[in-house]
Amino acid sequence: MTKNRSVLSVFALLLTIAVGQSVTAQKNGNSSAVKIPFEAYKLPNGLNVILSVDKTTPTVAVDVWYHVGSKNEMPGRTGFAHLFEHMMFTGSGHVPYGLHDKLTEGVGGNNNGSTTNDRTNYYENIPSNYLESTLWIEADRLGFLLDTLDIAKLNAQRDVVKNERRQSYDNQPYGRVGEIFYAAMYPKGHPYSWPVIGSMTDLSAASEEDVKAFFRQYYTPNNAYLAIVGDFEPAQAKAWITKYFGDLPAGKPVERPNIALAKLDASKRLVYEDRVQVPRLYIQWPSVGTKNADDVPLSVMSSILSGSRTARLTKALVYDSQMASNIFAFQNSNEDVGQFQLVVIPRPDHTLTEIEDAVDQVIKKFISEGPTDDELQRAKAGLELGFLRGLESNLGKANQLLDGAVFHADPGHFSIDYQKTLSVTAADVKRVAAQYLGGNRIVLSVVPKGKRDQASKSSESEAVSLLRTEAAGGGK
Amino acid sequence: MKRHNQVTALFVTVVILLASVASLAQQTLDRTKVPPPGPSPALRVPDWTKTQLSNGATLIVSERHNLPLISFTITFVGGSNQFESESKHGVAAMTSSMLTEGTATKTGDQLSDALQLLGTNVSAGVGAEEGSIGFVSTSKNFEPTLALLGDMMLNSTFPADALERLRGRTLVNLTQAKDQPNVIGAQVFARVLYGAAHPYGQRPTEASIKAITRDDVVAFSKAYFQPGRAIITVVGDTTAARAKSSIEKGLAGWSKAGDKPSFNYPKVPELQPAKIYLVDKPGSAQSVVTIGLPGPPRNTPDYFGLQVLNTILGGQFQSRLNANIREEKGYSYGVNSVFSFGKGPGPFRAGGAIFSAKTDAALIEFMKELKGIEGDRPITDEELKTAKDNLIQGLPARFASVSAVSSSITTLAVQGLPDDYYQNYAKNVSAITKDDLLRVAKQYIDLAHLAIVIVGDRSAIEAALKATNIAPITILDIEGNPVAAGGTGATNR
Repeated sequence: MTKNRSVLSVFALLLTIAVGQSVTAQKNGNSSAVKIPFEAYKLPNGLNVILSVDKTTPTVAVDVWYHVGSKNEMPGRTGFAHLFEHMMFTGSGHVPYGLHDKLTEGVGGNNNGSTTNDRTNYYENIPSNYLESTLWIEADRLGFLLDTLDIAKLNAQRDVVKNERRQSYDNQPYGRVGEIFYAAMYPKGHPYSWPVIGSMTDLSAASEEDVKAFFRQYYTPNNAYLAIVGDFEPAQAKAWITKYFGDLPAGKPVERPNIALAKLDASKRLVYEDRVQVPRLYIQWPSVGTKNADDVPLSVMSSILSGSRTARLTKALVYDSQMASNIFAFQNSNEDVGQFQLVVIPRPDHTLTEIEDAVDQVIKKFISEGPTDDELQRAKAGLELGFLRGLESNLGKANQLLDGAVFHADPGHFSIDYQKTLSVTAADVKRVAAQYLGGNRIVLSVVPKGKRDQASKSSESEAVSLLRTEAAGGGK
Repeated sequence: MKRHNQVTALFVTVVILLASVASLAQQTLDRTKVPPPGPSPALRVPDWTKTQLSNGATLIVSERHNLPLISFTITFVGGSNQFESESKHGVAAMTSSMLTEGTATKTGDQLSDALQLLGTNVSAGVGAEEGSIGFVSTSKNFEPTLALLGDMMLNSTFPADALERLRGRTLVNLTQAKDQPNVIGAQVFARVLYGAAHPYGQRPTEASIKAITRDDVVAFSKAYFQPGRAIITVVGDTTAARAKSSIEKGLAGWSKAGDKPSFNYPKVPELQPAKIYLVDKPGSAQSVVTIGLPGPPRNTPDYFGLQVLNTILGGQFQSRLNANIREEKGYSYGVNSVFSFGKGPGPFRAGGAIFSAKTDAALIEFMKELKGIEGDRPITDEELKTAKDNLIQGLPARFASVSAVSSSITTLAVQGLPDDYYQNYAKNVSAITKDDLLRVAKQYIDLAHLAIVIVGDRSAIEAALKATNIAPITILDIEGNPVAAGGTGATNR
C-alpha cells in the first residue's frame, strides 16, 4: 500500500525485536559510538521538545508522539485511539484536507502515523527547506483539529479503518491470534484486554462527540512530545516552535492509573479454527512491560532461544529433530505489561502435541542450567551494529529519543538500555527464565477448519469461537 | 507638573498599550498563511569510484564517514529467469540459502556463531533477474565478515541432509502461501499475463522443489556466483584502497569466469480482450484486485514519462486511485499502481484489497480512473508539478543510509544507466509534458486488453461483477488454471 496509517502489528514488533534487539556485545564495548546528541526542553504550555541535528542528508524528520493509545479507550469504544489517529489526517482549522500530503509527499517527502496500546505518533520526512510548513501543520492539528471536524469525515475514516481491520486481520491467515491472546491473557475490562484495531461494533459506535472529548482530554501540548531530527538550524527551529506551538493552551494533566500485570491463576489451553492449511502453535507467558528491569534480560533470553541457527529452540526443533519449519520467540513489551511469546510452524507429520512437548523439554533444560557464557556473548554481540544502523535514519533516531522521553522521562534512555543489555548476566537470564517461563501460560493451537483434533492436547483444549466480525460479504 | 505627570503617565500608558498591541499581534499569528519553503537544498549525490578487478568483477566504492559502518554487496547480473530451468524452479533460492550450511573448514553452526559474534549476518538471495550476497558491518568487523562471506561463496559444501531440511521447510512455505490472498493474486496475475511458457509466468512449485538434487545445487552454485557478472559495491567508512585490498584478501581464489547473461525472453502471449479472472476464496472479508498487462522494460525511452504518469495515477497517497477509492469512497485501506520495470516486459498493475461488498463498485472506479488518465479527466498543471516535485525532491532519501546508497549506485550498473544518472534526473523528469503523459498512458495501459484478477468470495461478488458489464468473467483456481463449469474453484475451506 502506498501508505498505511496503521496499527503497529505484532509482526512489526516481531521484526523490530528480531532486527533490533537480538543484538550483541563487544566485550570491549565500543560504547563511545552509542551517542545521539540531542537537546530537550519544555514550552510553558508543557509541550516537550527534542532536537537532534544531523546534516548527512538534506532532509529532516518531524515526529510527534502523544502519550495515548488503545489502553486509554473506554469500554464500548475499542479501536478509538487508532480511529482518532486517522481523523488527524483529515485537515484542521487552517490546513484544508489534502494540503498536508501536498506539502510532504508532494515535495518529495512522506507522512504517516501509527497507534499502539500506549502511544500514538505522527511524522513527516521532508526536504529540510519544508520544516516550517511542517511545524505549522503539526501545530494546527494539535490546536485546531475540531474546527473542521464533521460526521462525514468521521464516517469516511471509519470505513477506511474497517477496511484496515479486514485487510490486516480478518482476511489474513492467523490474523486473529492477537485479539484471542489479549482477551485470554487479561481480565475483562483490563486496558490491555482488547486489540488496538478494536471491534467492528465499537468502530461503528464511535460518534463525533467521542472524537471531541478524546481530543480535549489527550491532544494537549502537555501530553505531546515533538522531535525534530536531521538537517536544520536549532535556533531557527526553536523560534518556529514558539511561533506555532507557543500559544496553544495547556490541557488538564492526563491521569495515569496503575495498570496491573497479567496474572494467570492457571494455565489455559485454547484451539481456534481458521481458514488455513498449516496449523500453528502459539504459547504466551505473562511477563513485564518496558519499565520493568526484567524486560532487558527477557529480551536477551529471546535471542538465546530463537533467531540464529544455534539458538536453543531453533536448533532443537528446526535443525535437530526437524519437527518445525520455523520458530520465533520474543519478549513483547508494552509500557505497563508484557508477554513472552512463542510461535511454532510445524513440518508435516509432526503434531502440535509433539511440538509442545519438545518445546517444553528445551525450556525445562534452559531453566535448570541457564545460558552459557558463549550464548550470552553472542546474544549481545549485534547490539552495537543494530544501534548504529538505527542512527542512519532521522525518523529512527527520533523514535528512539521519543520512546525514552515518553516512557522513561528521559530522551537519552537508549544509552541506559544499551548499557543494561551489555551488563545482563547468565544468572539474570536464568532467573527470568525460571520466573516467567516456569509460570502459568496460555497455549493456543490454530488449526484448519474442522480439524480441532490437530490441536496440541486437543481433548484438554477449549475452543475459541470468535464472532465473525461481520456477515459474509456483509454490507454497511 | 501634574500635567506633565499626566502626560508622562499617558506616554507610559501608550507605550504599554503599544507593547501589548505588539504582543497581541504576535499572539494572533495569522495561521491561514502557508509558510513558504526555504531555498532548496543542493542535491548531494555521493561520489564513487568504479574499477575493474582482474577477475572481471566491477568494484564500486563510495566513502561515507559519518558512522563507523560499511555496506558490502556483490550483485550478480541475471537471476532465476536466466539460470534456472523450468523443471528446477527454486534451485537458485535453495542454493543461496545453502551458503549458510557449511564450508570446507566450518560447519553451519560454526559459521552462524562466528557471524553472530561479529554482530552481523551475511545474507544471500537470487531474484528473478539479479542476485546478491552481502552484509552491513561495523567498520572494525569488516575484514573478518568479508572473510566469512568469501568462504561461504567459494567453499560451501552443500551437505545433502541440509538440502532435505531446506526442502521440507520450503514446501511448508509453499503450502502457507496458498492461504495468502495477496500471494494468490500476484501468482495468478503473472500466469494470466505471461502464460506458463514465459519465465515471468513461472514460479517454484511443489514438483520443481521436489525435483532439485544436490548435484543441481552444486552445479548452480558453480555456474552462478562468477565474477564476470558481478558488481561489488562497498559503501561507508572505508577507502577505495582499503576496500580493494580487503577484497583481494577476502575473496582470494575467486578467479576469472563467467559473463553477463543475455536477457532474451520469449515473446509475451498475445494480449487477450479484457477479462475478469475470478479466483474463489470462500469467506473472504475482502477481494484482492489486480488489474494490468505486460509493460515495457527498464530501458524504455518512456521511463521518465511513465514514472510521472504513475505518480499521478497510483504512486502516492494522494494519487488519483487512492484519493478516490480509499479516501473518498472508503472501499479499501489503500490502493495503488506500479510499473515493475526490469530487463523484460515487467507488468503494469493497479489494485488493492477491497471490501467484498464493494468489489464491483471499486472496479468501476478503477476503470474510471484508468480512462480518466487517458483523457477523460485531463491531467492538470498542478498534478504534473506535484508529481515532478515528488520524484525530484525525493532523491536525497535514496542516499540516506549505507545500504540505500549502495543500492542506488548498484542499480545504475545493473541496468546499464549512466554514472551521471542522478545528476540529470531532475532535468529528465522536468522535461515531461502533459502531452507525453497522455501518449504513454494510451500506449502502455491498453484498456481493451486489461487482465483483471480478483481473489475473493465468489458467491458474494460474482453476480455484482457481472452486472458491471466491464468484462466477461472466467473462473480460475489458485494456480491460475481454468475451473470446469459448475466447479467451485474452492480449494481452501
